[in-house]
Amino acid sequence: MVALRRNKNSEKTMKRGASQWAVAWRRFKKHKSGLFGLGMVIVLLAIAALHTVIAPYPARPAPDSFKPLYEGEAAQPPSWKHPFGTSVMGTDVYSEVIHGSVYTVYVAVTVTLITMLIAVSVGIVSGYLGSYVDDVLMRITEIFLVFPSLLFILVFARLYQLRNPEPFWNIFGINVPAGLTMVIVILSIFSWASYARVIRGEVLRMKETEYIQAAKSLGASSRWIMLRHVLPNTLSQIIVLGTLTMAVAVLLEAAVSFLGFGDPNTITWGRLMEEGLQDLSTVWWVEMFPGLAVFLTVLAFNLVGDGLSDALNPRLRE
Amino acid sequence: MNILDVQNLKTHFFTEAGVVKALEDISFTVEKGCTVGLVGESGSGKSVTAQSVLRIVPKPGKIIGGKILFDGEDLLAKKEDDMRKFRGKKISLIFQDPTSSLNPLFAIGDQLADIVIQHDRVKKDQALEQVIKTLKVARLPDPEQSLGQYPHQFSGGMKQRICIARALLLNPQLLFADEPTTNLDVTIQAQIITLLKDLQRDLGMTLVMITHDMGIVAEMCKCVVVLYAGHVMESGDIETIFEKPHPYTEALLKAVPRLDQTRKLTSIPGNIPNLIDPPSGCVFHPRCQYAINICMEKVPPLEDVGGSHFITCHRWRELQGGR
Amino acid sequence: MGLGKYIARRAIYMVPLIIGISIVAFLVMYAAGDPIQLATAGNPSITEAQRNALREYYGLNDPIPMQYVRWLDHFVHADFGKSLYGGRPVNEIISTLFWETIKLQLVSILLAFLISLPAGIYSALKQRSATDYTISSIAIFGISVPVFWLGIVLILVFSFQLGWLPSAGAHGAPYLWPVFGIRNETLDELVHLVLPATVLTLAGLAYNVRLLRAGMLDVLRQDYIMAARASGISERKILYKYALKNAITPLITLLGISIGYMIAGAPITETVFSWPGLGRAYVAATLRLDFPLIMGITMIITIMILVANLITDMAYAWIDPRISIE
Repeated sequence: MVALRRNKNSEKTMKRGASQWAVAWRRFKKHKSGLFGLGMVIVLLAIAALHTVIAPYPARPAPDSFKPLYEGEAAQPPSWKHPFGTSVMGTDVYSEVIHGSVYTVYVAVTVTLITMLIAVSVGIVSGYLGSYVDDVLMRITEIFLVFPSLLFILVFARLYQLRNPEPFWNIFGINVPAGLTMVIVILSIFSWASYARVIRGEVLRMKETEYIQAAKSLGASSRWIMLRHVLPNTLSQIIVLGTLTMAVAVLLEAAVSFLGFGDPNTITWGRLMEEGLQDLSTVWWVEMFPGLAVFLTVLAFNLVGDGLSDALNPRLRE
Repeated sequence: MNILDVQNLKTHFFTEAGVVKALEDISFTVEKGCTVGLVGESGSGKSVTAQSVLRIVPKPGKIIGGKILFDGEDLLAKKEDDMRKFRGKKISLIFQDPTSSLNPLFAIGDQLADIVIQHDRVKKDQALEQVIKTLKVARLPDPEQSLGQYPHQFSGGMKQRICIARALLLNPQLLFADEPTTNLDVTIQAQIITLLKDLQRDLGMTLVMITHDMGIVAEMCKCVVVLYAGHVMESGDIETIFEKPHPYTEALLKAVPRLDQTRKLTSIPGNIPNLIDPPSGCVFHPRCQYAINICMEKVPPLEDVGGSHFITCHRWRELQGGR
Repeated sequence: MGLGKYIARRAIYMVPLIIGISIVAFLVMYAAGDPIQLATAGNPSITEAQRNALREYYGLNDPIPMQYVRWLDHFVHADFGKSLYGGRPVNEIISTLFWETIKLQLVSILLAFLISLPAGIYSALKQRSATDYTISSIAIFGISVPVFWLGIVLILVFSFQLGWLPSAGAHGAPYLWPVFGIRNETLDELVHLVLPATVLTLAGLAYNVRLLRAGMLDVLRQDYIMAARASGISERKILYKYALKNAITPLITLLGISIGYMIAGAPITETVFSWPGLGRAYVAATLRLDFPLIMGITMIITIMILVANLITDMAYAWIDPRISIE
């Protein structure tokens, strides 16, 4: 009898220690706004995946074909036929926003991947190896931190615009927009620095923990420790930072395009807003709906990020 | 005479994961001028007991029942502002970690003088004089020089002396020391224990020593209160308890290394229970070597065994007789 | 180490950074293309000889290292050269636009800072209350909303629809905007500030509130706060003296960063509101490759960022005794 009871109690402890990810997911599930954000992200992904099916009109044949696409229906306010209205060129804004979602997803994912790849490598190597490697890497990071990044992003983007390269790269049969990809690379180059510092701090803290010391005393190599111990343990931090990077990336790309420095060959949401700005007083819907799409997307990523950070760092929660 | 009489104190923490029943039923008394040990494993509710007496339980914790009589007055019935006047003035608390319990951004003199100013409404220089006097009592070298210095400029032991001085500033009648030596080096630990012992003797203060170290209890305390999972397991004179311990106390004592005895050290099997969903009956039964059926069905009462020895155990009669 | 010596050392450390950034900017700019070609592309009456004469006049035919050294020499003598468009001295252009940008940015940064104090503190103190949820929700909206879109929405509503506020520019002169029927230069200037400053304040406010709330929540959980409470210090004093000083340090950093980057972040708002500032000038200069102006604005911003960083570090050391300016 007594023995039975004891078992029950130890079972409880076991379940608690089973998997930190399961625990985090359970905590995230309780986070209403985080779940809501996740729902929005899923909707965005679905729209991007099915954009050719959902959009009532096809994408523009060429970005600067100023021939009205849908004759006689230019500059129409929102209606049942054109939920977001039509532009002065006669394009259906609703369809264009739907087609643009693909680029948004592309920007969010690739900027985050590149940024995190640089930030994580620099952060872990710098924090774990220390000494002169750390010195050199941190000096470089500092330089990137003081760079007036938006200005440089604009100059770089302009450089690429004027060099007028081929508009698309054909990679495995998929047309990848070259200009947008360059903007993505430029954004990534100018956003990894602060994240690298955060991750380095985390690694420094972890380096002092007993299990890393133990691994070291057992003769594990630096590379092994970094890959098998340090990386997995910074993962929760990386995931949170990554989600926030997605939000920032979408916002920045939209801003760059809005200012006229985007890829002239891709109709992103920011680009739609740039096109409509001159006629703001007459066709407000051309500005309103793409901007709303940017806002909701960024909001979704930020909500997920907040939810994740609460779920993965329970210390901050009561 | 009892300076502190805690009756059926109940403090719960309302977390997202559920209600953590940190203190379920705590009753004990502290005699004036006495040193009492408050003993138990971590998570047993020692610190929360001290925080409850001062009514500074952090959110989302809440005292939801019981009485705390201090000098005959019920502290739980007091208005918050009246209660504040007791803190630091009549009842003080020394924290476990001197580093984290001193504000890093303010000079020592400033932090300590604020307390004197708050309670006694005196000028800053008068307050600082009081601070210097008390720092001397706590045997901090160079108290005058220390006033303008910041916490990070002191060693751990020095910081704990400053914290002790902070608690003693206004000559409180009752002093809680919450594991004051846990975060210090072994040699410093002995110095701080000696200091507390001397201070208690010289100032005639009542000291409640919160600790998990039975050695410290044996060295300093006249009486002991043993806590487990928010319940008092037993309380009484140190001699009585060491001689006829509760099964939990017995297990605790077996886990203490002693130089004068050669015997095997044993640890207590299992962990402290989940306080959101505590075991039925006696909270200690899953780990108790004497547990029988009744122990998992019925909550044992805190019984007067005689000789001001109180015990919470269904089997105390047979066990105390049989051993 | 003395303060003067510290500043001197930091200043010396800045020199290679400034030179490095200027070289990178120079190279990227020149790689982007030929400004003369760009400017005259739409004009068939201009001959290649004329273009070449223009290039010669602006020194664009010299080898790039030589051009850089010449630029550096002028820069050291605080001269940014002449704009390729209209030939106005860059120093003059910058000095007229500088204050318009600073005015708008400083007003917004200070407003955001001042409003975030009560909002962040209250939000943290009443964690999980209705007010906290409201403030936190507004804050997450604030960090998610694209400033250019928010600006456009405000223009649509308050200028185009209601006609209450001007939508563009920093001044209405010669046609002053009537404020409750009064036409006055100061009022005109203020009324032009309202919309852009609102947008910038909201954006900054959101970051500040989130930072302060998180900092405050963290600080209020610390032992030293409980220790102060256990010593009978009043809640008021705990909050405003002991907790706030700890929670505000990250905010001071953010304030320093915002001031440092205020021109760097200006292009977007200034474009939306046609604000005659450095940000909009930078966008225009980059679009037409007005090299001297691009370099001038880039350098002003770089120096501002570096100086703001220095001041922030000093403020930090002043607030936190654990940090010394070694």
